[in-house]
Amino acid sequence: MRALLAIFRIELIRILTLRPALAVLVFGPLIYALYYPQPYANEALRDVPIAVVDLDDTTSSRELVRRIDASSDVAVAATLPDQVSAERAVQGRQLYGILVIPQYFERDLLHGRQSPVALYGDASYFLIYQRIAGAVVAVARTMGAEIETARLIAANIDPVLAAAAPDPMPLTAVALFNPQGGYATYILPAAFVLILQQTLLIGVGLLGTIGNNAAVRNPAASAAGPLARVGGRLLAYLVIEAIVLPFYLIVLPYLYGIPRLGGLLTIFAFCLPFVLAVAALGMVIATLFRRPLAVQLVCATLGLPFMFLAGFSWPSEAIPEPLRTLTVLLPSTSAMNGIVEVSQLGAPLQAVRGPFLTLWILAAVYGLLAVLLDIRSARGKPAAQAPAAG
Amino acid sequence: MKPPGRLRPGFLLVFRREFYWFYRRPFLLFLTTLLPLLLMGVLAIVFSAGLATRLPIAVLDLDGSDLSRTIIRAVDATPDTAVAVNVSDLTEGRALILSGRVHGLLMLPLNLERDVFAGRRPEVVFFYNTQTLTTGNLTLRGVSAAVPTVAAGIRLALRTAQGQPVEIAQADLSPIPVQVNPLFNPTLNYAHFLLAALMPALLQVVIVTTMAYTVGMDAETMHRLVILRRLGGGLWPAMAGKILPYTLIFLVVLGLSDAILFGLLDMPLRGERWILVVAGLLFILANQFIGVLLALFLRPVASAISVGTLIFAPSFGYMGIGFPRLAMNGFSYWWGELIPGTWYLMARIDQTIRGTPVDLSLRPLMVLGIFVLTLAIVTALRLEVFRIRRQRRAARRLREVTP
Repeated sequence: MRALLAIFRIELIRILTLRPALAVLVFGPLIYALYYPQPYANEALRDVPIAVVDLDDTTSSRELVRRIDASSDVAVAATLPDQVSAERAVQGRQLYGILVIPQYFERDLLHGRQSPVALYGDASYFLIYQRIAGAVVAVARTMGAEIETARLIAANIDPVLAAAAPDPMPLTAVALFNPQGGYATYILPAAFVLILQQTLLIGVGLLGTIGNNAAVRNPAASAAGPLARVGGRLLAYLVIEAIVLPFYLIVLPYLYGIPRLGGLLTIFAFCLPFVLAVAALGMVIATLFRRPLAVQLVCATLGLPFMFLAGFSWPSEAIPEPLRTLTVLLPSTSAMNGIVEVSQLGAPLQAVRGPFLTLWILAAVYGLLAVLLDIRSARGKPAAQAPAAG
Repeated sequence: MKPPGRLRPGFLLVFRREFYWFYRRPFLLFLTTLLPLLLMGVLAIVFSAGLATRLPIAVLDLDGSDLSRTIIRAVDATPDTAVAVNVSDLTEGRALILSGRVHGLLMLPLNLERDVFAGRRPEVVFFYNTQTLTTGNLTLRGVSAAVPTVAAGIRLALRTAQGQPVEIAQADLSPIPVQVNPLFNPTLNYAHFLLAALMPALLQVVIVTTMAYTVGMDAETMHRLVILRRLGGGLWPAMAGKILPYTLIFLVVLGLSDAILFGLLDMPLRGERWILVVAGLLFILANQFIGVLLALFLRPVASAISVGTLIFAPSFGYMGIGFPRLAMNGFSYWWGELIPGTWYLMARIDQTIRGTPVDLSLRPLMVLGIFVLTLAIVTALRLEVFRIRRQRRAARRLREVTP
């Protein structure tokens, strides 16, 4: 036990005194806290500029255009004479959609016929396309319902019934947990978990590859067995994360105005195996790559793919099977989904049993692997106690 | 390493030495070629479905009538959603959503059928999880396509029952239908939208960090820089010999991954290929110079790599693929403007899926060209500073030796 505590103390001091480790474990997360969320800070896409090609130019067509312009999602930025010039503006990224109102739009409406309009939305950016399509369809439907009601009343149907007829079974969509459909609310809680994983992974990897003189010199520490060596270091990382993690999962969401439904205790309980699994994986990576620069270079590239492997922005149901099972090996896969469910959705622990257990198993497996690798490397250099230079 | 005797110092010597390094340090080769291609392969598998279909939702059917069953069938039949579970109360549905097993819950109220035909407008409620925005929106799309279709059938039946001719009744149902046409990506394929943009984003991080690493190894101390200068017969040819091998390697990597994307996976390639190649080259060069500058300004190498990672690992968000730049705050917009990937992706999207006329794609090319030029000039100036500093030191030493 004394050996474990000695290792723990030494590791903690190393974290605070070794510049690269301190930079990655403490300053890295601090800078990311500011830098990462900026693109999403505005939460929602509003007033996407579209063009209108109004070939009818009547009271009704202008009314439709006015209503579309009034919606919060879309703004009519230009009224163009033909579709060709509008398409060029879309190609040039000045505008993102074209609404074409054909000639005789009003005449057909007055005749009681269908009077279709055509919308072309830029689908090379999905969020933009969704906004445009959603807004224009909704406006056209509302206006259509009014026209339908008017026609029914004109046909001598009771106004109350006529008002009900366009929509006998209204669909009410209730958005849960992120009612405004904000992008920051969606992406940041998961991204924060990924940032925590990547910084801890690199930090532990660096500490594992940079020579550890203190542990060799300290009598209590050098007497430590492999179990105490790994355990003591894990404990040190837990202490550091006990400071960084609440900042990321509690303070940051609060500062960025992201709703949080989960209780603190549940969140921290869920994070415990996450931190252990990532730290142990970091130790394994350190023994695999051996050089601090190698750890840095490889981990730098992994962050972005991990995001998509977690099945967060792209549903895991759509990831082909052998790969989906393999992604479970990454702590981020279970942690991103689990922590978001616990803290954003307010799920109780038993609802996230699956990812919670997975993280404990990962922590155990990677921890065991770290101990085994530690035994091997200790056997490798019994005579030469000189620490490997970074 | 010692240069073979027959080689004179110069650009070629450094160029060759770099390839010898690849041979001697397989890790470097792994980092620049295999790792990005491997990750790209994994991402290609992730998005191989292209469309996310049949996302599971739960249904709470309190009515149990013909109508409610019709709605459930219609919802199950849309490509977006699949009715995975029938729950018996809201609590059960809530638990399923919380555990992430379903993405939404469709609630059909008691007496739905009776109230619909009595004109009481009962509400069908769909709860969906927007914490996962993409998935949530997809399930909503499925449900909001299915329910109005069933409703339209009822409305038609109500009218024809009142003696209206079918075609007039049909015209009445939706007076202003909107024909929605997705431009450039007609099937709304996620692979075309996201996968093609991910490779450059990945490569950007790899280029910046490896250049910071490899140049840093030769420029970390004045002593090493002097060796590099001697090998190259001057700092400029030495640096060119250092940079160019990587330019070639990254071009091959980008070309290979694009060959897989556009050749093997048949992603759309509507546009001028030469623009793609030129833009790719400028993109690689710009990022290389950023890496070089990080190495020349920051020491030790570890700090240069750290700063490179810090800036470029999250830069995908700034490039405006997921969340468009249109909606970003001022800082993010301008910062994104300074990232080479933003412009390369613009040119790339233009010349792959959009088929943009050439003249409109020249602007990203020009901006990338300006990046390369500016960064090259800064690099050259930085090297000049090194040279002047060394000369001054040498002069000082000379003065000390000869009083």
